[in-house]
Amino acid sequence: MEFSHYAPLWGEALLTFLAVLVVLLGSLMKNSGKLMGYLSAAGLVVALGLVASNLTIKPALFFFDTISVDALSQFFKVVFLVVSLLVVIASLSRYTGKGAEEYYALLLFATVGMMVVSSSIDIVTLFVGFELASLSTYAMAAFDKSKKNLEAAMKYFIFGSVASAFMLFGLSLLYGMTGSTHLADIAAASLANFGPATLVALLFVIVGFGFKMALVPFHMWAPDTYEGAPPLVSALLAAGSKKMGFVAAFRVIIIALVALRMEWYMAFAILATVTMTLGNLAACWQNNVRRILAYSSIAQAGYIAIAFVVVGAAYGAAPVNVLNLGLVPADQLGIAGALLLILGHALMKTGAFIGTAQVSSMVSKGSETDPDDISNYAGLAKRAPITAFCMLIFMFALAGIPPTAGYIGKFVLFSSAIYSGLVWLAVIAILNSALSLVYYLRIISYMYLKEPAGPKMAEQKGYVVALVLTLLAVVWIGVFPDAFINWAMQAAAVLLPQ
Amino acid sequence: MYADYAYLIVALPVLAFLLCLFVGWHLPRGGGFLTVLATFAGLILSLGIFSEIYPNEIIHQSMPWFANFNVGILIDPLALVMLLMVTFVVTLIHTYANGYMNGDPGAARYFAEAALFTASMLGLIYADNLLQLFIFWELVGLCSYLLIGFWYRKPSAAAAAKKAFLTTRVGDVLFLAGIILLYNNLASLNLTLAPGEYLLQFPVIYAHVAQIPADQLTLIALGLLGGAVGKSGQFPLHVWLPDAMEGPTTVSAMIHAATMVTAGVYLVARMFPLFYAAPYGLTAVAAVGAFTALFAATMGLTAFDIKRVLAFSTVSQLGFMMAGLGVGAAVGTFAVGVSIFHLIGHSFFKALLFLGAGSVIHAVNTNDMREMGGVGKYMKWTMYTMLIGSLSLAGFPLFTGFFSKDEIIVIAYEYGVMINFLPYIMLVLAAVLTAIYTFRMWFSVFTGKERSDYGKHESPMIMIGPLVILAVFAFGFGFAAQEDFYSYLDSNFEHYDVDFAQLGIIGGHVLEGHAAPEGAALEEEQGAPEVAESGHGAAGEGEEGGEGEAGEPWYIQILPIIVAIGGILLAGLFYFDKIKKFDPSQVTGDKDPIRKLLLKGYYQHEILTGWFAETVVYGTALICNMIDIKLVDGWLNWLSAWVLGFAQHIRKVQTGVVQNYVTALVLGVVVLVVVITLAMEVGLV
Repeated sequence: MEFSHYAPLWGEALLTFLAVLVVLLGSLMKNSGKLMGYLSAAGLVVALGLVASNLTIKPALFFFDTISVDALSQFFKVVFLVVSLLVVIASLSRYTGKGAEEYYALLLFATVGMMVVSSSIDIVTLFVGFELASLSTYAMAAFDKSKKNLEAAMKYFIFGSVASAFMLFGLSLLYGMTGSTHLADIAAASLANFGPATLVALLFVIVGFGFKMALVPFHMWAPDTYEGAPPLVSALLAAGSKKMGFVAAFRVIIIALVALRMEWYMAFAILATVTMTLGNLAACWQNNVRRILAYSSIAQAGYIAIAFVVVGAAYGAAPVNVLNLGLVPADQLGIAGALLLILGHALMKTGAFIGTAQVSSMVSKGSETDPDDISNYAGLAKRAPITAFCMLIFMFALAGIPPTAGYIGKFVLFSSAIYSGLVWLAVIAILNSALSLVYYLRIISYMYLKEPAGPKMAEQKGYVVALVLTLLAVVWIGVFPDAFINWAMQAAAVLLPQ
Repeated sequence: MYADYAYLIVALPVLAFLLCLFVGWHLPRGGGFLTVLATFAGLILSLGIFSEIYPNEIIHQSMPWFANFNVGILIDPLALVMLLMVTFVVTLIHTYANGYMNGDPGAARYFAEAALFTASMLGLIYADNLLQLFIFWELVGLCSYLLIGFWYRKPSAAAAAKKAFLTTRVGDVLFLAGIILLYNNLASLNLTLAPGEYLLQFPVIYAHVAQIPADQLTLIALGLLGGAVGKSGQFPLHVWLPDAMEGPTTVSAMIHAATMVTAGVYLVARMFPLFYAAPYGLTAVAAVGAFTALFAATMGLTAFDIKRVLAFSTVSQLGFMMAGLGVGAAVGTFAVGVSIFHLIGHSFFKALLFLGAGSVIHAVNTNDMREMGGVGKYMKWTMYTMLIGSLSLAGFPLFTGFFSKDEIIVIAYEYGVMINFLPYIMLVLAAVLTAIYTFRMWFSVFTGKERSDYGKHESPMIMIGPLVILAVFAFGFGFAAQEDFYSYLDSNFEHYDVDFAQLGIIGGHVLEGHAAPEGAALEEEQGAPEVAESGHGAAGEGEEGGEGEAGEPWYIQILPIIVAIGGILLAGLFYFDKIKKFDPSQVTGDKDPIRKLLLKGYYQHEILTGWFAETVVYGTALICNMIDIKLVDGWLNWLSAWVLGFAQHIRKVQTGVVQNYVTALVLGVVVLVVVITLAMEVGLV
């Protein structure tokens, strides 16, 4: 077994090594926070390069067939690495002092955890990766050690533990019924013979993933945590770790539990509808921008969950003729749409949360008011023009207005719903998109139409760099979507029988 | 080699736009030099491309965009002459603007918007597909809105900007409808396209026009014509153009005289095969154009605002260009050359006249010609350059306008012989009026005695320089370039797979001269109008049309000259003498009904705004509003109140107590188990 045999996993190896190194060096050297930040950024860039060099490889199996490197895992790894990289770039303006090395190490560990989950084709590996990412982010949520941080982290932790317990219970039921922890073996066993216990196992697994995805009613930690955690950690949670829930759910539910297709079709039809509707409705009345973003990201999870419904409805159905893609199966199109929305949402949400970090850093320290209150966004276009403009585009993108990444994802996903005969679901989703404009436009109107809430402020460099990079990516995907659609289609094919 | 950098023609002004927008106010004169440089680089590139591909090649670059659409660059003779003209004229106008806008606090904004406008206009010209053209078309409209309303604190400017935007919007909606219809028709042909070919690319459209049903072609042509009518200020969507003079004079010169308004004419020229194939397509173009030419010229006779005179003149001249394309029904692609030649020539002398007017306004500080008079004594440069522009506009022999405008009148005669004399008559009358109103303006501004106390100084050299250069072109361009220009533009459609004989059959102008070469030869030999009348007259082939000049009777050839000189003399008779003993009070108290009618612009404002907009539209709007408020809004308000009220309740679920959250989780699982089990039992799924 040669070293180069593991080439597709060098990215994970590098980041693990780097995380340990950051902790060690950080405790040995004084005031090394900034250096560790740059080191982490460099490591993430290299890891991104390593992953990008194997973007659409044929599935390669490692470690007794528990890890699979394939187009799907690479897609998600790119998402995670990009999000982490943007968060690190922004963090360079915030976490530079004492103890900052812990922050970067935790972030790297979380990234590794998410990457492992995206490659796992075995429920034990998957659970380990899941917990690695969760535990790291629990600590990060409390990183600024304010009262609000601690409350947010505590809620996140308790809720997360309960959800993990459910998931573990569900996974152990699956193992008990099939005698295997390998996803393909679980799929091969005739699950349908086990009666009601299968439904319980399925739902418990959905609880575990639904917690990360923030599907209603497993979402309740999300608004409190996104609001209370440090803003950059919220970015990582909403944009990164939430997507880990999706890749895990894609693999376990679509591949392993395909026999229970009718049950999860039903479950996700309910969950998707309820999630997007409640997410959007609840967002309308919030005055805290981070809470608005939290509910918006719950609503987006509802949109993405449409993919499960589409797959359930169109699994193995005859291909349909789609624009310039030619004949494609509707279920593959649905997953591709979800992947595009995941990619787009990861970027838009990272950007939006970095924007909130910028704004809350402008609010004076001693101020009694909530730093994320929407009144602080009044006249932002005059106070911090670059941030305001980027936020404007992110809001439009989140609402799904072309030509942005948000539009492309929604377009492909909603069309797949129509192609697979789920017109009612597409209608609900589109009505929800319209409803979401209420709160996105509200933020925009504060930024652009109201009198400034304070003097013009210097925008912090790290934030600005991260914001502009995100903006470019969001618009680039929207203007030249073809390459991304093809990529997502290839990644989606991994989940479906050839 | 230059062709590889063709994209820079648009990219550089975009860069200038960004720089001026973000750092303009730190730069001298608002960063105006950046805009000048970017446009000048475009001119150099265009010249380089011209030297590379003239006369036999075209450039076509394209890359996929998404789905069935691409982005691409198409530089054929038609696009190339437009590129050259726009980069050249706009470079001069930007240079002039560096002087004109000096000291304006919004100079950086002005140059940013002007650069964006330049980029959009150039992008419009060399787009290789209709969708891309439309996108730039809309950007041009946006820039026009921004620039007309540049002095946005002035209510009249803000109103004019809004009027321009809304009026052209009417045309743009029709244009978009035309594009969608065209796309649907092409898509329903189920064409097998070669790699790199896309449905809305011009070469693909040209190649497949003949396969589209004739009635659909007419609808598409009318839709596209709607867009052109809006953009080029043709009747009845011309109302925004005179008001658009509220912007800085450089804007009027750049957008509302030389470049943007020609986009409509360019669109018709670009889609000429489609118009040619569409029954009644070109007839509609000719009718709209000729009527506008005459109609606007009459209004130009009475306006007192120097810029409004020029604006009406622009509308009228655009009518000439449209009519020139429309009579292509009789002379085929030759019409494109004639019309575009007038477009280019017009952009030179109209830009010159506007910049000259700007120079006068800059010194005199009023737009009202009644308060000028005798300006020539103090502004020699301005006076003589404007004299050249005026002579050119009036069509005085050997000036550019003579070669370009009169050729349109001549081919309109051929159209008359073949089909209908109405456009010809209107155009001749419009030409007389053109000469009259042009010199009425020139005499009353520069001659006579001073009628008010105004600033008496010549403009700075940065403003005079462009005037002189433009004057050279306004004089010599027509004489120097006519023959080559016609033959070059005539070759435009030879680069594509398009069969005009077949299109003519669909369009219903089957010309025997077309089908039978002997007929054409006969015409050339005899050169007599009788032949033309028997149907051989203006064969669709360009060269024959070009030769057709020899086929007109001598009085038709001479008439435009008589018209021009006669018009100038009449203007002198009416105004030159009168101006010497001019009494402003006489004019304002004018009782002459015809004059009043013209002065009021045919009561268009009263009819369109006062009656149509305020009574008919507003009345209808009121009724709709009632329905909207009571029924639609009522229902929607009820719905949104209900939704938001419901949302209020949802918010309360989020108690902040983590025990409740976990309870919700467990409850959620229980509900799902029950619902799914029941659903499976009942057999719902």
